[in-house]
Amino acid sequence: MIPAVMSSRIRENVKHFFECFCEVVPPADDKDAWIIQQYPDKYKDQEVLKSVPKFAYPYKFENTVIQHYSFVLTDLESKWTFGFCRHDPKSETAIVVLSYLPWHQSFYKFLDTTAVLMHSSRTEDLSEFLATVYTTKIAEPGKKIVVAFNRGQSTFSFDIPRPFQLPSIPENRNLTEYYNAVDTNNMMIIFASMLYERRIIFISKHLKRLSACVQSANDVIYPMIWQHIYIPVLPQSLVDYLSAPMPFLIGVPEDIFKTVSQNEIGDVVILDADNNKVHTPFDDLNSLPQDVIAALRKQLRNKSAVLGDGVSRAFLRALVQLIGGYRDALKFTPGQKVTFDSGRFIETRPVNLQPFLREMLNLQIFQQFIEERLTMLNTGRGFSDEFEFELENYSAKSGSKLKQQYKEWASTMRKEGTAFFKSVKDKANPAMKSAVKTVKDGGKGMKSAYKGLRSKLKEGQMNQDQPHNTKPRSAPNSPTGKRKILSGFTVPVATYKKDASLAIKSANLQRSYSPLSPGSQPLTPDMLDSPRSGSPIDFPRIDLMNEMQDLLKLRLADGNPAVDRSLKPVRSLENFNKNPLSSPTSPERWPTPRPSLPHSSVLFPSHTYRDTQTLLQSPLGDAFMSPPHVPPRRQSHDFFANSKPFVVGGGHNENGDPLFFVSNRNMVDVVKLTPPVQASPGRRKQNDETEDLIRLDSTSDLDDFDPLKTPSSNSSYSTPTHEPPLSISNPLYNSSYENHEIRSNGVNSFSRQDQDLLQDYGLHFNFGTAPQGSDQSKFESFSSSNRVNVQGQWTKFD
Amino acid sequence: MARDYDHLFKLLIIGDSGVGKSSLLLRFADNTFTGSYITTIGVDFKIKTVTIDGQKVKLQIWDTAGQERFRTITSTYYRGTHGVVIVYDVTNGETFANVKRWLHEIDQNCEVVNRVLVGNKNDTPDRKVVLTEDAQRFADTMNIKLFETSAKDNINVEDMFMSITRLVLRSKLEMRERQNDQKDVVNLREKKKSSKKSKCC
Repeated sequence: MIPAVMSSRIRENVKHFFECFCEVVPPADDKDAWIIQQYPDKYKDQEVLKSVPKFAYPYKFENTVIQHYSFVLTDLESKWTFGFCRHDPKSETAIVVLSYLPWHQSFYKFLDTTAVLMHSSRTEDLSEFLATVYTTKIAEPGKKIVVAFNRGQSTFSFDIPRPFQLPSIPENRNLTEYYNAVDTNNMMIIFASMLYERRIIFISKHLKRLSACVQSANDVIYPMIWQHIYIPVLPQSLVDYLSAPMPFLIGVPEDIFKTVSQNEIGDVVILDADNNKVHTPFDDLNSLPQDVIAALRKQLRNKSAVLGDGVSRAFLRALVQLIGGYRDALKFTPGQKVTFDSGRFIETRPVNLQPFLREMLNLQIFQQFIEERLTMLNTGRGFSDEFEFELENYSAKSGSKLKQQYKEWASTMRKEGTAFFKSVKDKANPAMKSAVKTVKDGGKGMKSAYKGLRSKLKEGQMNQDQPHNTKPRSAPNSPTGKRKILSGFTVPVATYKKDASLAIKSANLQRSYSPLSPGSQPLTPDMLDSPRSGSPIDFPRIDLMNEMQDLLKLRLADGNPAVDRSLKPVRSLENFNKNPLSSPTSPERWPTPRPSLPHSSVLFPSHTYRDTQTLLQSPLGDAFMSPPHVPPRRQSHDFFANSKPFVVGGGHNENGDPLFFVSNRNMVDVVKLTPPVQASPGRRKQNDETEDLIRLDSTSDLDDFDPLKTPSSNSSYSTPTHEPPLSISNPLYNSSYENHEIRSNGVNSFSRQDQDLLQDYGLHFNFGTAPQGSDQSKFESFSSSNRVNVQGQWTKFD
Repeated sequence: MARDYDHLFKLLIIGDSGVGKSSLLLRFADNTFTGSYITTIGVDFKIKTVTIDGQKVKLQIWDTAGQERFRTITSTYYRGTHGVVIVYDVTNGETFANVKRWLHEIDQNCEVVNRVLVGNKNDTPDRKVVLTEDAQRFADTMNIKLFETSAKDNINVEDMFMSITRLVLRSKLEMRERQNDQKDVVNLREKKKSSKKSKCC
């Protein structure tokens, strides 16, 4: 028997926001990375726990900025577990949270909150917070979850994403990173390579870019889902898996990739995300139906559609054109399950599409797509996701006819009381059900905030569900501490700090290890001595500054300003470059900790620095900002309460391509608008010739038998490097499915000083002084008008 | 770089979870100490070097998680492999049904893939439900060799892996001969264009 819905690799009916929280000690000379503490203790999947340190420290890298990335584990049923990871140069350890939910932004926010609490003087804070979040029920899609902590003084909140929401720029951090790093032509080549189910490797120096690009590449083939090997970040120890003969999508840190012999891995598509280059031995993009590709290219070129879901939608429309015709191949027989007729699928399509569609039938991702559609239909969910929605925009007529057919079929099924229909319907995922509802309601119902939960949580949830377990458990290689243990927690290791073999102590480091268990004392005198700034909790040194350094290093490296100075966003930009923290050529070697900089060495006044924290840590702001810095200007107090992203600044890069700073309440981002750059024809030709020469020499080699080595030519698509990749990021990633409408309800911490701060950094709000309503409408009309244009250019089915 | 083998073959082992794929690999492989990653990254492989007719053959045998979710396993999955080991559990009829469906699919889609059919857990006659005769009849119609094995009792495992290795080696040598024959007349540009149609797996 075939299990019901198996195409999705995301688990359904997830009970907890996270499965396990771990703190991981980096590898030292003589031992591997290991988990020093975890919550909850009852999480016992040893295989996963064994893997976490490998993925938290995939290779020896130098950590100069706070870095978030995600990794993915795949279980025996091929379902994914996401690991969200946070590295802080000020901390000796990494923190990781494992979850079945791909809600990147929420988890990065969660990790930031956790990191703050690990420095809390009251050690119960962390454990209570973890327990509360763990026991909080996942609400319906579209609702907001608010968790109180810090004895009710602070809240952590996140939105339950609505299903089928397309990834948007800039809210979806993964897609924004991908779009910034990789030009649209290369995105299209990767898209095509995925449609041919190639063996695909992404490489980057930056773990966050690597994981973001891999996950986004999978997002843009929606409604299909990558069915093969999927490892967004590959640890050094698993490097041999690159020789897998099956299709894969693997992110390989550049340092690891250098150690790989390309001979051994055979024909792979390689995307160098740092240099925006694709090397492929295939010609997949040109093998796709060219009218579809032309339409896609045109839409991606449309720069005004970049913000929002324009990029995702462009790819979705290409897929609608390619596979939307599946509807014509559905067979409705009263009393029987809906089936798919692959012959009809080909025959009913335009002749020019048919050759490709025949190949499409041989794709696992397409087969699973069909399986999933059939399951949706046969369980009464009908045509209810974003793909079907777009398909109907595209071809309204066939949609209504089909829906009528489906309605009749479904009503027959109901009348006949067919058992299977009922039973499968009951099993339908609540998320799906509510999605159907959402679509029916036009999504309106989902926008109401989740009232009352917050106060409930404050009252009731702190002490729930903590079974008593007094058995201490020792972390590997370490004696068990004698401290009081809160039930449900792994015993942290008191001697960790003194373990000389770890050799990661530095007198300058602030307290970097905070045990989960309450009642433990700060472990070393230097930690007691470390300044607390009069506040009970230290702020994490995040992120905007350092993240902007990344950007500015790239953009300013050759002396060319990233941004047109006439457009103002310049003040203090150069300073970032000089920040010693960012020096890529630092002689210090990992894992020796770099001494933490005293505050005075940071190039901003300390209050400004703090404000940066507020900017990025807004949900925490209320609790930890005391006293708040009151800025002089008040007129746009609610500026960031506006949930829509808006442009706060702009300019041009050195090529004259437009560049926007985009912001919403939680972040500022840079979006470049670059036309897709074609590979130069001359260069490709040259490559072909070179390749032929090589092949002449090697024809008789036995290695040619390798099926991974196709006899096709080895062309290289590379965009001239005059356009270095550009990225800014911060911890607050949005997942692709995530509701990006962040409401200020309940958390009101993004205040006017943040705006001042942005202005300090030269991020002027071009529309900032206008009333917020008009901001929004401006932004929306900007993208929706474009959408209308694009639709007009579509060829219709039939 | 000096190689310690004459040939490197990549094999794929497919079948429902629970039919004993991992056990077969463990029983056969050299590198059992490397641990298994199938539960954490959904893919695993084992290595064994064997000698056939004086030639050293290095085998990589690959396994992936959750294959039973596929109604069909499409040709892209086999594209890079030299041979496929298709495993069912003789004590579980469903696993045999899946295997039959998959094999039909391979047969339809792929011109050249070396394959063997394996009925594993052939160690408790009482519980056997897939009869040897039925399996053999099916294997004959598919023109494929059948092995009934027990990874637990180490029955037939070695023979089975050697058999598929021989198959692969033979087709490699045949292919090389064909290539040598055509060597002088091959127009590379032409070859490039035509290869796409002829090649499936």
